[in-house]
Amino acid sequence: MIELEHVDFSYEKNHPILKDISAKFGENGSKVVGIIGPNGTGKSTLFLNLVGILKPTSGKILVDNQPINYSKKGLNQLRQKVGIVFQNSDQQIFYSIVKDDVAFALHNLDVPKDEIKQRVNTILRELDISHLKDRPIQYLSGGQKKRVAIAGILVLNSEWLLLDEPTAGLDPDGKRRMVELIKHLIDRGQKVILSSHDIDFMYEVCDYFYILQAGHIVKSGQKETVFDDEKALLKNKLDQPWLVKIHQKLHLPLYANEAELFADKTLQAKLAKLE
Amino acid sequence: MLVIDKYAYSNRIVKWSPKIKGLLWLLGIVLAFQPIILIKIVVLAVVIWHTLYATKMSVRVYLHWLYAVLPFLLLSVIGIVFTMSPKASQIYYPIHLFGSYFGVSKVMLPRGLRLGVQVLTAVVCTYWFALTTPFQQIILMLKAVHMPALMIEETMLMYRFIFIFIEACEQIYRAQKLRLGYRTFRLSIHSAGILVKMLFQQVMTDYQQMVYALDAKLYNGEFKVGEDDE
Repeated sequence: MIELEHVDFSYEKNHPILKDISAKFGENGSKVVGIIGPNGTGKSTLFLNLVGILKPTSGKILVDNQPINYSKKGLNQLRQKVGIVFQNSDQQIFYSIVKDDVAFALHNLDVPKDEIKQRVNTILRELDISHLKDRPIQYLSGGQKKRVAIAGILVLNSEWLLLDEPTAGLDPDGKRRMVELIKHLIDRGQKVILSSHDIDFMYEVCDYFYILQAGHIVKSGQKETVFDDEKALLKNKLDQPWLVKIHQKLHLPLYANEAELFADKTLQAKLAKLE
Repeated sequence: MLVIDKYAYSNRIVKWSPKIKGLLWLLGIVLAFQPIILIKIVVLAVVIWHTLYATKMSVRVYLHWLYAVLPFLLLSVIGIVFTMSPKASQIYYPIHLFGSYFGVSKVMLPRGLRLGVQVLTAVVCTYWFALTTPFQQIILMLKAVHMPALMIEETMLMYRFIFIFIEACEQIYRAQKLRLGYRTFRLSIHSAGILVKMLFQQVMTDYQQMVYALDAKLYNGEFKVGEDDE
């Protein structure tokens, strides 16, 4: 569990980016935490604090009940527990060939060669990018680069995976595959924290939400409750997920995802009677 | 995107061992610099033919690539063969100028031409290597000849980021051009200045983000290159 206790953060004095943030990620068995907020509310800054790249100006962050140890050794251990994938793939892929880049973090840990090879192959297969193994990075599509960036962190087998704006710049197909990928990761026990303002995407994949507004957490809760106040969401420059809208405005049941709605036989039967 | 790179990844001899390609390149260079002119010309012709064959490139495209170096070569040769001399007999087509004669030197002409062929042959051989060898193979070759690790790292990182840099440069240039930033010479100079400034700023912010990403991947000061030679 990652716990934040009254975390404040500012780059310069009197310009706080994060204000008094307290949260418990992974509480009550939640596996996919969503941080939702409009542009410039500090989502990325929060993430950088969680992986120890930035240090809270006050308050503390506990990982598995231990405060983050900011020594080099401590951070090394933290990063094997909490991996982060940034928004811009190009800035986190350093090698020109896919398999070399995915192996990078393992080389840095001095993992034996054979094991590196085997772990890289496993991850590439899992993310369905084995065929890109020997490809030069500059010929990959945005979605493919994103997968390579995620693979480069997943090889570390970290307990937590932080994804900053994973759907930014992806086409519908890329987005669909990202949803599938995240669901697959969750199924195999990966804990994920996502940040995004893509409400429908977040509604589909996350099970616990924090709404961030100008550095504050204004609301948190589960799928069923956190989106119930449309006005508040609009005021925070966000929107209601469409499944919640049709629930509130058309009085349909509240579906957890699109697939559930279209599989609802009783609804189909009722609609058929209307004609 | 650098088109030159596309050929390197998709040519008929991409599967050849990089060591053999490296040796052939070296052989080409040696042949270019040996004294017999006929051999140079034969090598020149054969290598151009093979480059065209291996890359399936049209003669026009190939010449287009050569345009990048031809001006330098021509200027050098011109600089060597033209000369001033007090005696008209030392010069082909002498022009009387300021009391001495200007024209093509009888001694230097064969030397200049020989040098031209020599350089052209060497350039063509290098093009052959660059156009048929993917970057990964070049790295393996550098490793095989025991280049210092630092230099290989540097080469690799440059190759990775040059594309991003060129793309950023192109985007800014296009945006400026669309708003008529290059309409006159004066404006062009001004716009080019802004372009360089913007690129510099971008490099600084990108650098910061790169440091974060390196941190997340437990970077410890070393990029291992070409670990598994398959």
